[in-house]
Amino acid sequence: MSRIDEDAARWVARLNGDASAEDRVAFDAWYAADPRHQGAYLRAEAAWTMLDRAEVMAHGDPEKAQQALDRTVRTARSAMTRRYAMGAGMAASVAGAVAIGFALKDRLSIATSLGELRSVPLQDRSVAAVNTDSRIEVDMSSRLRHVALVKGEVWFEVAKNPEVPFVVSAGDIRVRAVGTAFSVRRRAGGADVLVTEGTVETWTVHDTDRRVTLTAGHEAFMPETPQTVAVTFRPDDVERRLAWRTREIVLNSETLREAVAEFNRYNARQIVIADPAIGGETLVGGFHVDQPDTFARAVHGALNVPVSIGDDRIIIGTAAAAS
Amino acid sequence: MAGIVHNSEARRALLNFVGTQILPHEADLRQWLLRLGVKAHELDDIVQDVYCRLLRLERFEHIEDPRAYLFRSARNVLLEQVRRNRVVSIVTVQNLDELGIADMGASPEAAAGARAELTRVLGLIEALPERCRRVFELRKVHGLSQAETARAMSISENIVEKETAKGLSLILRQMADSGASVVKALKPKLSQQPGDDKRGGERLYVAD
Repeated sequence: MSRIDEDAARWVARLNGDASAEDRVAFDAWYAADPRHQGAYLRAEAAWTMLDRAEVMAHGDPEKAQQALDRTVRTARSAMTRRYAMGAGMAASVAGAVAIGFALKDRLSIATSLGELRSVPLQDRSVAAVNTDSRIEVDMSSRLRHVALVKGEVWFEVAKNPEVPFVVSAGDIRVRAVGTAFSVRRRAGGADVLVTEGTVETWTVHDTDRRVTLTAGHEAFMPETPQTVAVTFRPDDVERRLAWRTREIVLNSETLREAVAEFNRYNARQIVIADPAIGGETLVGGFHVDQPDTFARAVHGALNVPVSIGDDRIIIGTAAAAS
Repeated sequence: MAGIVHNSEARRALLNFVGTQILPHEADLRQWLLRLGVKAHELDDIVQDVYCRLLRLERFEHIEDPRAYLFRSARNVLLEQVRRNRVVSIVTVQNLDELGIADMGASPEAAAGARAELTRVLGLIEALPERCRRVFELRKVHGLSQAETARAMSISENIVEKETAKGLSLILRQMADSGASVVKALKPKLSQQPGDDKRGGERLYVAD
């Protein structure tokens, strides 16, 4: 039971006991502070009120009530179990969940293998979270902090230093930040840029004059060839798409095809969709990146399609032509 | 403060409704949420959110099946959290539907009767630690005020209040945790002939 529930019980006891005017003011503040407080208080007060039935019913039928009371008193007292396990926080933080490499040299190269996630503190106190199957080349000098994203995806929390620009290159795409947090993912023909804090400036080397400024909550696909860039503001979606930092995949009406492609980024145990007809079905849910089998079972339940879970691959659906 | 006008008729009616029609199903609701894959640390938040929604109810006479209503509310809370992209580790929305139908079966409480309910309420009080139990018996069975309880037990009002808070917390926890198995154990019995076997109903409620 949470701290809030305990507080709610205390307030019920106080307000049904001997509450001062100050108590009521304090209560009003607590009550207004959070809808969860209001819910917890209703629950606690309802339980308190429900217990009044003991009196009402005892008075209605005193003899039987006394018998019931006597009998319950004789019943062996059951110890109140406190088997409530508070989960270990919302997943672990990136730093806690993955091995931390030390990258305090000026130049270095960091590569992750399939399914690996590394959070690496850089020499300038920035942090790079390097997602699965990715590679970055870091080059820190006194005039420029430069990171080349050779392949894959990386999220940076950039240490503030207005004197020394922090620039990420992803193929022909450039992303420049001062003190901010953002991610870059290489795609065919460009890169996705997602900003979680502050501001970044991004451009393609083929048109250095046309620069796109993105602030927190914004995301854009930057094409290599100069063309209009569509910037969207979806702070929730930016966070969702960065769920990999806590080794999670969060689906919000993605198609089965897209979801499977996500899982396959992380696992050697690839998921195959045998029936193309179901690839467009959309799904909602949260999963651990390295549990494709859990995902497959969920798909089985949700779409009512056969799923075969093998040690080296997982097949969803049955090919219409096969078997 | 809006919504918590004490002693108002509406608040009283809401408390009665929640206490008798909703709380008894909370343990089942928690079990159901856990089976959906909701993590333990998310559980209390969701339950509080569900109760908070009940506050917005202007009237509840139209709710024919409070148990189903409770499960539906919880489902809506989950869906909203998914839409807000908070990582609720539910399997899929579609699964919510399937599980929902399976679990929202007829309420076992409806048939339990007043006798069983009294026994259950007394059972909750009985399970409390000694001093706590005494406080609750005086206040709830005999209807004494906090001051009268303090005098009867020769302890300070402050201690009565502390024991009250502690006991209420324990009772809420018991309703959240262990209620599930009790309600479940009751199901087969009641499916034979609900209401007829009052002794059976009692015995099961007090079990352990």
